Amino acid sequence: MMGFFQSAYVIARRDFIATVWSRTFLFFLIGPLLIIGFSLAFGMMTSRMARADVHATVAVVATDADFAALLAARERLNPAFGQRALPDLVHERPQADEARQARILLASPGKRIIAVLGGGLDRPVLTGADDRDLSKRLAIILDEARQHRGLADAGRPLAPVRLRLVDVERSEGALAVGRSMTARFGQLILFMLTVLLAGMLLSNLLEEKSNKIIEVLAAALPIDAIFLGKLVSMLAISLVGIAVWVSGALVALALWPDPGGAGLPEPAVGWPLFILLVLIYYSANYLLLGAFFLGIGSQANSVREVQTLSMPVTVGQMLIFLFASFAVGAFNSPIGLLAAVFPFSSPLTMVARAAQTPELWPHALALAWQALWVWLTVWLGARLFRRNVLKSGGRSRGMLKRRKPASPS
Amino acid sequence: MTGGLAIEAKGLFKAFDGKTAVDGVDLAVPEGSIYGILGPNGAGKTTILRMLLGIIDPDSGERSLLGHARPLEVASQVGYLPEERGLYPAMTAREAVAFMGALRGLPLPVGRLRAEAMLSANGLADYVDKPIRSLSKGMAQTVQLFGTIVHRPKLIVLDEPFSGLDAINQGRLEHLIRDEAAGGATIIFSTHVIAHAERLCERIAIIAQGKVRFEGRVAEARDRLRPQVRLRTRLAEGGWRGALPAAAHHEDGLWSFELPRAGIEPLLKALIDGGAGIEELSIERPGLHDAFVAIAGEQAARELAESAAGEEGA
Repeated sequence: MMGFFQSAYVIARRDFIATVWSRTFLFFLIGPLLIIGFSLAFGMMTSRMARADVHATVAVVATDADFAALLAARERLNPAFGQRALPDLVHERPQADEARQARILLASPGKRIIAVLGGGLDRPVLTGADDRDLSKRLAIILDEARQHRGLADAGRPLAPVRLRLVDVERSEGALAVGRSMTARFGQLILFMLTVLLAGMLLSNLLEEKSNKIIEVLAAALPIDAIFLGKLVSMLAISLVGIAVWVSGALVALALWPDPGGAGLPEPAVGWPLFILLVLIYYSANYLLLGAFFLGIGSQANSVREVQTLSMPVTVGQMLIFLFASFAVGAFNSPIGLLAAVFPFSSPLTMVARAAQTPELWPHALALAWQALWVWLTVWLGARLFRRNVLKSGGRSRGMLKRRKPASPS
Repeated sequence: MTGGLAIEAKGLFKAFDGKTAVDGVDLAVPEGSIYGILGPNGAGKTTILRMLLGIIDPDSGERSLLGHARPLEVASQVGYLPEERGLYPAMTAREAVAFMGALRGLPLPVGRLRAEAMLSANGLADYVDKPIRSLSKGMAQTVQLFGTIVHRPKLIVLDEPFSGLDAINQGRLEHLIRDEAAGGATIIFSTHVIAHAERLCERIAIIAQGKVRFEGRVAEARDRLRPQVRLRTRLAEGGWRGALPAAAHHEDGLWSFELPRAGIEPLLKALIDGGAGIEELSIERPGLHDAFVAIAGEQAARELAESAAGEEGA
């Protein structure tokens, strides 16, 4: 009899070679590039659409002096708020009946005016559809104009302040904020990779069942070894994928060294160990989720069943991701401890911990705990498989189908 | 395990969702024999084989495969062809055979060499490196069969091996089964076609509704019935009629009845002395079909016939 791990190796080797040498793996590899490409294209498209879009324009019925003060205030505030956050202002000289003037301006289709500001700087009146956000922003412009005018009238005009920057090597507050970003980034990467890759397991097992080869495997090898082999091969395949993507990213960085980002602050355990821990926690997360998926996949008999089953699982993953994100920066709180102990959120929580705290012993403990759960999930999945599959000759029933009495042959 | 038995099962019981699938099955398959499990679809044949192989566990009862209570311990000495054939469509024929050998512990390079030799010897040399998806159904079944025996197992378990094969391939498979048995392997196969069991098997188990109705030599099954005498006489009436058994029945001028315990000679003498004018007299040994009807009952025989007809129609 072959040993357990040798049996798992036979399965892992077959699955790895069959997958990596298939054309679909190439599509799988370029999948993220397509996603990035589509995201960039979509971003550019929406940005262009936003630029071409109608910007909020407010007609200001005011004297030349008041309008100039408002326009100057808007220009001073623009750098802080952003060019498109504050409404455009157009000047309209006051007429005898300001209310009528406002109605005419709002009804003019060519001018595209969303509101009319009248009443001067001290008793402003905004006429237009109810828009609280617009009124708040206009109030800021009005306040800025009035304060500036007040100081000028008092003979104390103030020049814009020039903030002198003094760099320090270390600021605990800034580091904590930055590491929180690193933690969340690590969680996001782990989550995205796992979601992207764990689904492959389901389709793989489904292929096995649709090829009806699972009985040949089950007659020759322990089911647990089959499950482990499949998990390990899929993990290896995903690591190949990650290696290709990371290499691609490094090449892209070499060709385009300054993408404009400031970069992430160094994690608490240091970059080399953090990257290693991300890989290890990714593996643990993948194995845990993969074992769970295999257990579920072994119950399904069709693509439709797999899709029906995988949707709630994906929603569950997102909830777990949210749960783990609550633990960032609060690892010793009850939620933080629960997120670290719950096996499916543990890898995500511990990656964040590696970014924010330097202790290593919790990682050793967490990895041992996660390994135990991987084994338990594989074991449980194998039991489920043996219990619910291969009940009858020539026919097997899906878990979603209505149960009928077994029909042996 | 007792000496000389490749498979031994005692009181195997299995129920699915509260419904009994296999009920107290006892089997004893001698080493080196060709053993058939005969029964209609739904009788429990596949479940019995799966329990023997350890794919599923019995709810109760004991099994022993090549002397081991845990079948996977002797997986390297067992070959299994399931009823539902399955191969990876993208694999080449050579790799498929070698992979199935590797599942049983045969090193891949050895498996590849043997695969090529087996395929070439059976007219499939041109298909050695062709993917399974490009082979015909019959060729793919042949590939899977070679994968079942590539590691030269001591015990070969075949679940409905003739199912889906045309007459030529059925003949080839029978030949291969005999060859493997001649080489010392034990072969156990399930079937719902009496002719295959009758031609190939030394011993059979007749299964109906999850129970073993008969287990033993094919000849013993036949011997459950007395030989049948068929008699046609020139005269319809006469004193000789008194010599016929009371259960003899007459149809289309032909008398049929079981051979009397005393043998044929006293009957023959009475017929001649009574002037019956014997036109035709034959003594026919019952076939396995007759034995099956007698052992398993008319209902099981009908189901068996329907199973076979269903496959032909499929």
